[in-house]
Amino acid sequence: MSFLLPCPNCGKRSVYEFRFGGEVKPGPAANASPREWQDHRFNRVNAAGIQTEWWFHRSGCRQWLEAVRNTVSNEVLETFLPGEKRG
Amino acid sequence: MKFRFHERVVEAQPGDTIAAALYRNGQRVFSRSFKYHRPRGLLCVSGRCPNCLMNVDGVPNVRTCMTPVRDGMKVKGQNAYPSLDTDFLSITQRFDWLMPVGWYYKTLTHPALWHAAEPVIRKVAGLGEILPSAPTHYEHTWMHADTAVIGGGWAGMQAALAAAERGEGVILIDDQPTLGGQLRYRRRIGPIQDDIIHRVRAAGNIRILENSYCFGLYEGNLLGVLQRDPHAAAAERLVHLRAGHAIVATGAYETPLLFPNNDLVCVMLSTGVLKLLHLYGVQAGKRAVVVGAPAPASEVSVELRSRGIEVVTVVHPDAVLRASGSSKVDGIQTRTGSFSCDLIVMCGPRVPDTGLVAQAGGKIEWSAAAGAFLPTILPPHVSAVGDAAGETVVNPGVPLPKSKRAFVCLCSDVSSADLCDGIAEGFDQIETLKRYTTATMGPCQGRMCQLSAIGVCASQTGRSIADTGMTTSRPPNPGVTLGALAGPKHHPLRRTPMHYAHESLGAFWMDMGDWQRPRYYTHHSTRSETECILHEYRAVREAVGLIDVSTLGKLDLRGSDSGRLLDNVYTHRFSDLRPGRVRYALMCDEGGVILDDGTISRLGEDRYFVTTTSGNLDFVQQWLEWHLTGTGWDVHITNLTAGYGAMNLAGPKSRDILRKLTDCDLNSGNFPYMDCREAKVSGIPAILLRIGFVGETGWEIHCAADSAEELWRAILDAGHEFGIRPFGVEAQRLLRLEKRHIIVGVDTDALTNPYEVDMGWAVKLEKKDFVGKTCLTQAAGDRAREHLVGFVMQGPGLPQDGAAVVVDGQPAGRVTSSRYSPAQLAGVGLAWVKSLKAQEGTLIDVRANGELVKAKVTMKPFYDPEGIRLRQ
Repeated sequence: MSFLLPCPNCGKRSVYEFRFGGEVKPGPAANASPREWQDHRFNRVNAAGIQTEWWFHRSGCRQWLEAVRNTVSNEVLETFLPGEKRG
Repeated sequence: MKFRFHERVVEAQPGDTIAAALYRNGQRVFSRSFKYHRPRGLLCVSGRCPNCLMNVDGVPNVRTCMTPVRDGMKVKGQNAYPSLDTDFLSITQRFDWLMPVGWYYKTLTHPALWHAAEPVIRKVAGLGEILPSAPTHYEHTWMHADTAVIGGGWAGMQAALAAAERGEGVILIDDQPTLGGQLRYRRRIGPIQDDIIHRVRAAGNIRILENSYCFGLYEGNLLGVLQRDPHAAAAERLVHLRAGHAIVATGAYETPLLFPNNDLVCVMLSTGVLKLLHLYGVQAGKRAVVVGAPAPASEVSVELRSRGIEVVTVVHPDAVLRASGSSKVDGIQTRTGSFSCDLIVMCGPRVPDTGLVAQAGGKIEWSAAAGAFLPTILPPHVSAVGDAAGETVVNPGVPLPKSKRAFVCLCSDVSSADLCDGIAEGFDQIETLKRYTTATMGPCQGRMCQLSAIGVCASQTGRSIADTGMTTSRPPNPGVTLGALAGPKHHPLRRTPMHYAHESLGAFWMDMGDWQRPRYYTHHSTRSETECILHEYRAVREAVGLIDVSTLGKLDLRGSDSGRLLDNVYTHRFSDLRPGRVRYALMCDEGGVILDDGTISRLGEDRYFVTTTSGNLDFVQQWLEWHLTGTGWDVHITNLTAGYGAMNLAGPKSRDILRKLTDCDLNSGNFPYMDCREAKVSGIPAILLRIGFVGETGWEIHCAADSAEELWRAILDAGHEFGIRPFGVEAQRLLRLEKRHIIVGVDTDALTNPYEVDMGWAVKLEKKDFVGKTCLTQAAGDRAREHLVGFVMQGPGLPQDGAAVVVDGQPAGRVTSSRYSPAQLAGVGLAWVKSLKAQEGTLIDVRANGELVKAKVTMKPFYDPEGIRLRQ
């Protein structure tokens, strides 16, 4: 695995500069049951295809960002800072 | 220049490789084959075949045809006893009928058989031996280029020049000592070479990596390049090269023809013979027979004759019956007669080196016109030029006779008959045939044998070569030394600002993550570790001690929503913390599991100072920032860990010392327990937190790292009259254990919730929302399955950390921390037990020194249970 991730702040960087932060998914509501929290915490979609993920640019700007990546080809379609999704 | 080859001293000429010098001095056998110990001599002279591997200065499997001679080097043959020229183990070829293809799978069918056979096989087969003490030097470096060109021949240099003229930054990688490729030894192409090499060298934006080979083309055009320093023993540098565009100009390499005894010493590829002749002035033989199609054979013959080598005859490959000779070739039998000779020159098929294109995801397909596999579909940002793309490759068909002595794979002695046997046994796909026979799997990685193996497979199965296909090309190819991949053993080391002060006090160091911390101080005395630690302990309990706690994670939070963020992420409430107050802080995940703890001080209305455990800082900062994303809250988090030094002054006399150094009112009435102030200490601006991890009156003092050593010395000087001692991590662990203060990650694990460690008081379930609220609410209502309790040993012996707790003969828990407590005059510790046993005074059994010893459970601290001393 040696693809490049375009950091919105720093530009294209090796994936080894980043920490993977898991799938982007909405958290359960405040009044959700422990079972829903359990599901949120332990279960993953683990998509074979396009998914949105958290990445932390550990060796760069030290910011969290979101990346839309094809988990099969490692093609990164888009990266953006949280809440700044384009299009 | 001279070097040693076994017991011989060999003279070399300037520019010689080891192989060239040995050949000139009469050495013909360079290695012994893997299985049959057949003598093998130079074949390709280009670093692609396995025949010239030797041990050089203790490093095994060095390609001597590519390694320049260094004065005084020591060279040895491999896999031969007693010598390369006389190898007793060559007897094994007489028993080849005992070792059919797939011998391992057919014979060693039981583990016991393998265990019996393994030592013998390891001795007889195989390549060089690794000498762990051999001198080595490995480095890693990173490079970037708009365009990387792999291959320094004509096509590669043209491509590099074209890219350079477009203004791109170019890196040109060539595995030879100097640019030129086949221009260097194919003289017919003529004088244009000097001009182009000069232009490449003169171009300011072309960086040339010579003696370097690219072993892998990875995702994102990351090239693995191994750069060798030919003038130093085992000096290799791994280059991580990221290129916008990769141009594969690796050329085509010649491969052997198939006929019986094609592996005899002095049966060589024409390119190898020409290289010896033109690069090193070495005649490979006196009387040569050239085997090849008319065009290449006549080119080679002209070259040989012009340099005084007699060409006995030129033979078409179809006419060859066998080569003859025992230790080296002495003749050839053909359909038109027998000829005696001392050299057979093979003009074999030229194979485009497309491995990198295939690794990058390109498609390689058989071209009947070229008689070669050529790249047809190239991946994005990768191109192939020159012979690697098949530009001048035209291979006529070659005969593929079935014989036990027609070697397809030189690396592991696989003949065409072996391949036929494998196919007959059902391994008739090229990928399964490869795995069954190990053809293409040796040091040459299929370079010498792949085309022949595919040809044999195709003809035996009646399929076309196109349908047979080729085996998958995987990096690394060529192979890379593991040392180069591992690189130098750099490990980051973090030192606190007071490091050298500790050193002058005779600190005994311990590693904690990347940090170095004093475990205890010897004061350059001969006292034992236990005595040193006990002295430090006594100083803190009876007088005063000072410990460096700079490794604590330190975060500065500013902004009007800081309290809101902390309320959300930590279990306690911090928005209502009064400025000037400190509160214990516990962090849990969504499942209610403890992640980290520390203290949070409110230094101002919108300003908090957060400490974390030493090892968790990065995680905590990222966790806080993740919870901040998308909220739009006004919070700025700054990591001050390296910017601040910190020390904890603790003990009944700590106030007396601090009073000498600061104007700040230190009386408990004005500066009570769990308060914080910003004040100057010894003239140095500092943050003072009145907290008590070790259970005595004390202050944790943070100041700029630049001043920390000065402040440390000032406090020690001021404390001299009060008997101050610096104390290390070990004394601190004992002191905190007596207070039953937990260490997250030592006393807790990946399932621990706050209620199991009696810290429900730090969880404010009435808060509207915070991370872990749902699960913690449930945990608060349930009866915990396990509980962390204190215990006091009722007999001699001290359990080790992790020792078993036993109840009624059944395992019932485990010890997380234990020490001898001077306060209790007994062993004390913390242990996980079933909740039913978590009652004051319950007796449990703890395993200590192999025996079960009674211990009494307590839920109170072992020292100062009411916490009077730290509030004084």
